[in-house]
Amino acid sequence: MSATLTLAAPLAAPPPGPDDLRIEGLVKRFGATEVLRGVRLRVPRGQLCALIGANGAGKSTLLRCLLRLVEPDAGAIEVLGEDARRLRGRALRRLRARVGFVFQRHNLVPRLSALSNVTHGAIARAGALAWHQALAPRALRAEAMRCLEEVGLAPLALRRAEALSGGQSQRVAIARALMQRPEMILADEPVASLDPAAGREVMGLLAGLARQRGITVLFSTHHMEHATAFADRIVALRGGAVAFDCPAAAASPAALERVFA
Amino acid sequence: MPERTAPPRLERPSPLSFALLVGAAALVLSSFQGAGFSLAELWAGLPQMARILGEMLPPAHDRWDRVLASLLETFHMALAGTLLGVLFSLPLAVLACRALNPSWPLRAAARALIALFRTVPDLVWALIFVVAVGLGPFAGTLALMVDTMGYAARFFAEAMEEQDKGPQEALAAAGAPRSGLLMAAVLPAALPSMVATSLFCLEKATRGGVVLGLVGAGGMGMELKVAMDLFNYAEAAASILAILLLVVAVEQASAALRRRIIG
Repeated sequence: MSATLTLAAPLAAPPPGPDDLRIEGLVKRFGATEVLRGVRLRVPRGQLCALIGANGAGKSTLLRCLLRLVEPDAGAIEVLGEDARRLRGRALRRLRARVGFVFQRHNLVPRLSALSNVTHGAIARAGALAWHQALAPRALRAEAMRCLEEVGLAPLALRRAEALSGGQSQRVAIARALMQRPEMILADEPVASLDPAAGREVMGLLAGLARQRGITVLFSTHHMEHATAFADRIVALRGGAVAFDCPAAAASPAALERVFA
Repeated sequence: MPERTAPPRLERPSPLSFALLVGAAALVLSSFQGAGFSLAELWAGLPQMARILGEMLPPAHDRWDRVLASLLETFHMALAGTLLGVLFSLPLAVLACRALNPSWPLRAAARALIALFRTVPDLVWALIFVVAVGLGPFAGTLALMVDTMGYAARFFAEAMEEQDKGPQEALAAAGAPRSGLLMAAVLPAALPSMVATSLFCLEKATRGGVVLGLVGAGGMGMELKVAMDLFNYAEAAASILAILLLVVAVEQASAALRRRIIG
């Protein structure tokens, strides 16, 4: 295991608020393999935190555990002041609705339009009216169009998701997350499937919108340049535990390289 | 370097494989015997078949109005039966789908019901419904509906099960309830496959609807049976020709629609 590097330097802007995310001793096993081994992490409100680590380090599992898309085995998770591990049914769905999740593979419904995919972001509060853009009331459609405008895709509102490029699809996925009116966004390698130019563009969009709205973001990435350019703080996972935690501005290339060694 | 001999062309079967082969051959032979298959009888029956064919030509053309009315009734039965069957298949398929119904007793019950609908032939369902609701096309429509449910519900459930789990996970992460996952992610993705299955069901119901008349459940079969019972082969030929036209027309229309929807 590489040396844990926790720098005492203050975080970059914005100043830390109350913690939106608190994780203590998080453990997740898949059979005999322990993927997360007592992860401890706190993310204050409004912070953009990059999660880095080699393949299999546990980044995706950690992000999924936070919304219980994967069930953790032990530990405590507090998301937006809610004890995520104790929630069931409707209460869990309410918490999920407050957190936007952007997946590596956008996960849009391919046969539906970009607009319908964006209205899906309101499914927890609008119910059946958000199943399809044609069912949505005027205000909901207008809000979905505004979300599409923010990601620059309003002209393609009625284009099927399966006809969009990778970068466009990921923008629609971000618009869907915005439609949730999220207080926090979790993004699991959101630009992994995009070419470098599109990746930087999408990452910049996500970070810019989050800063503008004061949304807390925890995103995983393999791109060190994205971590240093867009995040306030970098946390590295190695072997299922936090191996490195420092402000992005203070992260040295050598320390970052050691995470993947 | 010594010349290497070529391996044998066929591998010698193991004693078990040989015994299984002999057993399979014996089963096939006994099946022919059990089915009363006789080349001599087939040969002796050829003149009779030729006579019937001769009497069928030309098909009778003086009762086209009745034939067409029966044909239309068959199509109505097939369309209504398929539509009802497809509609009732939807909730049954959701209950049978592992991804959408976590309760295994309910899932097992739904699957057992679908298997029952599928394994009992439509003619048997027609006999049951003729007793229940009386002779006529309504009994036939109900039989076709149940037969469609056995087929469509199974394939709908499989189509729902096979869909990419990514969009469902995204909706679950956005706080969608199970109904939201079904309506916003699963159904739109499974729709082309479900429409294709429904069109196959319509073809199957059209063919099935033809024979239901033999047990009094309405449609073209009744005309055919009466003509055959009265040895009126020219009228029977007219009915067979009309059946052929209907089945081919429905199959062609269904294939064209499938190509348009899936292609």
